Amino acid sequence: MRFSEAKRRPVVSIASADTVGRLNDFIVDPAARRVAGLKLKATPGNGDLLPWANIKGFGVDAITVADLDAIVLADDNLSALGDKHHAPLNKRVLTQAGFELGALQDIDFDPDTGELVALILADGDVEGARLVAVGSYAVIVRA
Amino acid sequence: MSEPRRANSVLMRSSEITKRVVVTFAGEDIAQVKDIIYAANGGQVGGFTLNGRGFLAGPLKTSLAWASVAALGPDAVMIESDSVLTSTEEVLASTGTAGDGQHGDILGSDVLTDDGSNLGRVVDVIIDVTGVHGDQADVVGYEIAPDPKMGAAERLLIPLPDTLAASGEHLIVPAAVRNFVSHDLAGFGAAIVAYRNQLNGQS
Repeated sequence: MRFSEAKRRPVVSIASADTVGRLNDFIVDPAARRVAGLKLKATPGNGDLLPWANIKGFGVDAITVADLDAIVLADDNLSALGDKHHAPLNKRVLTQAGFELGALQDIDFDPDTGELVALILADGDVEGARLVAVGSYAVIVRA
Repeated sequence: MSEPRRANSVLMRSSEITKRVVVTFAGEDIAQVKDIIYAANGGQVGGFTLNGRGFLAGPLKTSLAWASVAALGPDAVMIESDSVLTSTEEVLASTGTAGDGQHGDILGSDVLTDDGSNLGRVVDVIIDVTGVHGDQADVVGYEIAPDPKMGAAERLLIPLPDTLAASGEHLIVPAAVRNFVSHDLAGFGAAIVAYRNQLNGQS
């Protein structure tokens, strides 16, 4: 599943059957090469972070959580990874050999595990396993 | 994807390397190359002096020693982290270069053959980066604005012997170099090898 397909997907509480938010952005952990969590909007409370571990199901029509407690206000890991500085989309992709591959357009991920499968660029895909880091200047991948 | 497999050896002009961005493996652009510090009497790249990034950034007090370069790529100079930067004095001392680099000295110098003919003035330095990640960077040639008597209107590439004598004023090269002048980088690699072989008596 691609990040672009899942954007705006509703988050539904299994306990109350209410929509408790919408997916606004993915938070990526480049070192672990997986989705660390989701940034939500239109949540009923103050919290807007959904750690990956709190997701029950990442379905094609909805993301389900046990109840509203799954959505948190702050999480050290997500807060650090979720700032603009670490957002991978639209950044240039640079290999460790100093060769620029192009801008990162989309990311293909496994909705069951959160694992990053592929980085999608205009000229083709780069395996998710090659990801090294996301910085303010570039997404770094192994050469 | 058309990601190039890096050949064993890539020729670059020094002017292409200056201004190149310096990026850490964490994806941060921490500097850009200001100038090249030459080592081994101008025969090798010893490191880079740096400018800050951004609109108003000036020269940095730290420099990048060649040994700390992870890769010299076409789009960026890659380093592991900003902790590999050292003081400019330290890099200059390790390359045996006193004062402010030899770059200014090489650019603008006249190239003189050992039989006393001026070939022209150096306008760029050709560097051969070898190894998978650009492990070594040797100075292998000069691009010169030819002296009028050379009868060439355009810039010429001249290969260098393994070692050469350089002062601030003149660079002395063996006269046989005249037979190995190139017009572009495409055939220049072969010219360097042929020239050095002849100098070593292997032609």
